[in-house]
Amino acid sequence: MIAAPVAKAPSKPHSALSRDSELAASVKHLVLSDQRDAARERFAELVGRQQRRAVRIAFNYLRDAHDADEAVQDAFLKVFTHITSYREEFPFEVWFTRILVNGCLDLRKARARRLRWALPMPSSPDMIAQVEPVANQPSPEERLMSSERAKQIAGAVERLPDRQRLVFTLCHVSEHSTSEVSRALGLSEATVRVHLFRAVRKLRKLLTGESPSVAVAPRSLLDRERSVV
Amino acid sequence: MNRTHLSDDRLIELSLDGSDGTSDAHLAECVTCESRRAALASLLDASALTLNAEADAAFPPERLARQHARIMLRIDQEGRPARVIAFPTAHASTVRVYRRPTRRWAAAGAVAAAFVVGILAGHLTQNPTTDAPATHLTIRATDTRAPIHVAASLSDDELLGQIEAAVGSTGPASLRALDAVTPRAWDVR
Repeated sequence: MIAAPVAKAPSKPHSALSRDSELAASVKHLVLSDQRDAARERFAELVGRQQRRAVRIAFNYLRDAHDADEAVQDAFLKVFTHITSYREEFPFEVWFTRILVNGCLDLRKARARRLRWALPMPSSPDMIAQVEPVANQPSPEERLMSSERAKQIAGAVERLPDRQRLVFTLCHVSEHSTSEVSRALGLSEATVRVHLFRAVRKLRKLLTGESPSVAVAPRSLLDRERSVV
Repeated sequence: MNRTHLSDDRLIELSLDGSDGTSDAHLAECVTCESRRAALASLLDASALTLNAEADAAFPPERLARQHARIMLRIDQEGRPARVIAFPTAHASTVRVYRRPTRRWAAAGAVAAAFVVGILAGHLTQNPTTDAPATHLTIRATDTRAPIHVAASLSDDELLGQIEAAVGSTGPASLRALDAVTPRAWDVR
């Protein structure tokens, strides 16, 4: 889950690293050199850069704004407290996504435990948009979400199995490559591709009403699949 | 011209992997397949757009700003204990961290001892017939007198009166008549 601490001396960040990876590396070096205030400042910038992407992933996976808020906060806190474990050769986005997704999974399990003891409540797609109204004027996102087509798409995505929805979100919403997603989720790339394929096929079926001509994933994908978790 | 249309799954593969030479050639010729591919691409774009919009509607900029502030606050709180631990060793000896358990044990011992003493005292006072019989007050006015048994419940006046009576019985016979008409202290109470 979180890589073991690295004892080697700080090295110069690789030029191919993203800006976020460079920031994370510098936070790590500042923490190691006991410059906590400077590390905190640098980390605040990193949070600002990753925050939007993080809430999108968490919200689309958990489908609850409060849980997503909590998951994102916990993930950033965990990143800071374990920043000395960060390995510079690993893209920060992937490392962070892995921490975030693991946190989302834990929250999801906790929520399932809570629901076993709670009264069932009626759920509807409209509830999601009503989570926290903050402005009198609807934002462009809210206007978009109020359209019938957007509701259909959101409903269809919500009907995807958890793993397919997560892979689809990471690939299409966060625009990660299948290689990055496989590293973030600890799955083989072939497995990620199969989940993604099935997610797209199911979405297409749900949104267009067309039944797929083939009931299983294509041979080219299945041949590469080792295990689907 | 190849009239065999691409399957749905092949179209999905193309949307995930990008096109290859054979499929490109077919899509360039076949309007039907090209429109199906375009429809799928549009659906995926719309899905991504919708999901992002949904999350952004739930997390407007104000909420993100609050979340950012809360994250930094939690990081600050997380850091405080480390500073306390980093105190110099010389000052650390003045911190009485482990004395509290000792005091707590002493207090618990004192309470337990008091409890045991209380139980024993209660046990002794609750059984007067066996362990605490009536006080035997032996008054030897003369050597020939039998001991007078005085109940422990007598008041001081009654006890003194009995003593007086015992002693007085041996007084001069001339005074016995006067003694008889004189009221006792316990009689006039």
